[in-house]
Amino acid sequence: MDIGVLVKASLDGNMIRADPDGRINIENTPLLISEYDRNAVVEAARIKSEVGGKIYVYTLLTWGPTKKKKKELENVVREALALGGDEAYAVVDDRVIPCDVTSTAYILSNLIKKFGNPELILAGEASMDMLSSQMPIRLARHLGYNVVTFARKIELSDNKIRVTRDLEDKLEVVETSLPAVISVTGEINRPKLPTLLQIRKAFAKPFKVVGLDELELEDTGRKISYSDLRLITITRKNVIIEADKLEDIADILIDKLIEEGVVRV
Amino acid sequence: MKTVIYGFSTEDLLDGLGLAQRIRELSGEELETFGFIVGAEPDVDGFDVIYKMGYAPTDAISKAILENISDTDIFIGPATKNGTDIATRLSAELDYPMITEVVDVDKVDDEIILKRQIIGGRGLAYYKFVTPITLTVPRKKFQPSKLDKKPEVKEVSIPEAKIRIIEELPKEKGEVDIEAAEVVVGVGRGFKSKEDIQMAFELAKLIGGEVGCSRPIAADFHWLGEDRWIGISGKKIKGKLYFAIGVSGAPQHIMAAGDAKIIVAVNKDKNAPIFKYADYGVVADLYQFIPVLIDRLKKRRG
Repeated sequence: MDIGVLVKASLDGNMIRADPDGRINIENTPLLISEYDRNAVVEAARIKSEVGGKIYVYTLLTWGPTKKKKKELENVVREALALGGDEAYAVVDDRVIPCDVTSTAYILSNLIKKFGNPELILAGEASMDMLSSQMPIRLARHLGYNVVTFARKIELSDNKIRVTRDLEDKLEVVETSLPAVISVTGEINRPKLPTLLQIRKAFAKPFKVVGLDELELEDTGRKISYSDLRLITITRKNVIIEADKLEDIADILIDKLIEEGVVRV
Repeated sequence: MKTVIYGFSTEDLLDGLGLAQRIRELSGEELETFGFIVGAEPDVDGFDVIYKMGYAPTDAISKAILENISDTDIFIGPATKNGTDIATRLSAELDYPMITEVVDVDKVDDEIILKRQIIGGRGLAYYKFVTPITLTVPRKKFQPSKLDKKPEVKEVSIPEAKIRIIEELPKEKGEVDIEAAEVVVGVGRGFKSKEDIQMAFELAKLIGGEVGCSRPIAADFHWLGEDRWIGISGKKIKGKLYFAIGVSGAPQHIMAAGDAKIIVAVNKDKNAPIFKYADYGVVADLYQFIPVLIDRLKKRRG
């Protein structure tokens, strides 16, 4: 059975660049694979080892400028291929940037139908930059697939799929039928860094980049987009307590915490 | 505007009502508010009608909402996993835009602006408020006022759906609720063994707090239960003090701890990201500093 995996090239939370007015400078903020998407690829590889088939990696470049970011997207795709993907398909098109989740879901559904059309699709529970958790359900709606979110365990038998959902206060075991989209949480597995050999092999795997024209799409279906992305100004005090002896540092810290009213002695 | 607020408890409905009232205040438009509560009894005023239904899979819940209430302008649900799932199903079905975890609503140049946190709490995204729309709201961000309307309560049946719940299992669970704790001592990878965490418990006891931890401590090493894991997919803390020991400060961890009034960081790496998010930092080996701190605290108390 073929499996599709969605991966996103997300803004790197540790490398955010901002303009002097506080606006996030997307052009100069590097992209990296969304953390939970790595879990999704590794889970796809596990399922493949049981049932066989091919793993298709799908992505769309949501951040521009495309000229600069395409290279970073390629690195993300290579990582997904190194972690177990067999073939990759990416949409890169200036007309969709900046891309919101509704149009991304619409375009990806067309990409998936055209290339591979697998009956099981995995995705991370949320992207690490926008964290909106909408993609799996919106995509499933376009494909006409069933959808289950927040999986920490996936079991396949015949045409059924059993998913253990990881909720805040309990685990919920549910069952649905294929075709389906499943979003996975970070607890489903522990991805290792790909080995050098895996990375080298990834370069030999098929990777196709297309634009909207090849998908015969005109309207990107955009519904709502942010009007502004700003860095949160940190209002922490950032005081590093220094003294020659640890005892003195401890005393100063205790005094500060008493002053702040957060510790009582 | 027709507003539907759904959730799994009275608290969920109150959170949604708080956001709805804020939008009404800024837009000046009257709201017709419908509640939809799942698996609980509503104990709240301020709604025109409240529908109630037994617990069901999320696709059955979204289907029931759509079957019973039409022409909705604004859906508001809790920013929990199931709340987000249902919100997205409603939005996908009706092709509505959706904004998850709205943390603030403002009026700028005659336009209502919704804000949400992005990139692990390091950025804010601003969206123009439009209708129709679906929103999710974090716990206790918006407090409702003037709950005068007595709602009519209607019970609805659970529709057929594509997902079937087989069983519910308890989560591996300790007895702690770090989300409710005023003081949390955070354990990070700076700790070298499970036994060493005892130090954090001792400090927590002295300053009246609970012990929480970063992702690797719970998810990879299993030194502490998941109920102590501070992160976007773990617990979010919002007390008066977060005391992070040997925590480097991954974005997801920072976002979940960012609401604490005061943050203290102890880390031997002076370049650890956590220091940027801390009010007070101590650059020291936790194995040397924490015993000294515990000792000084004890001495002060005689």
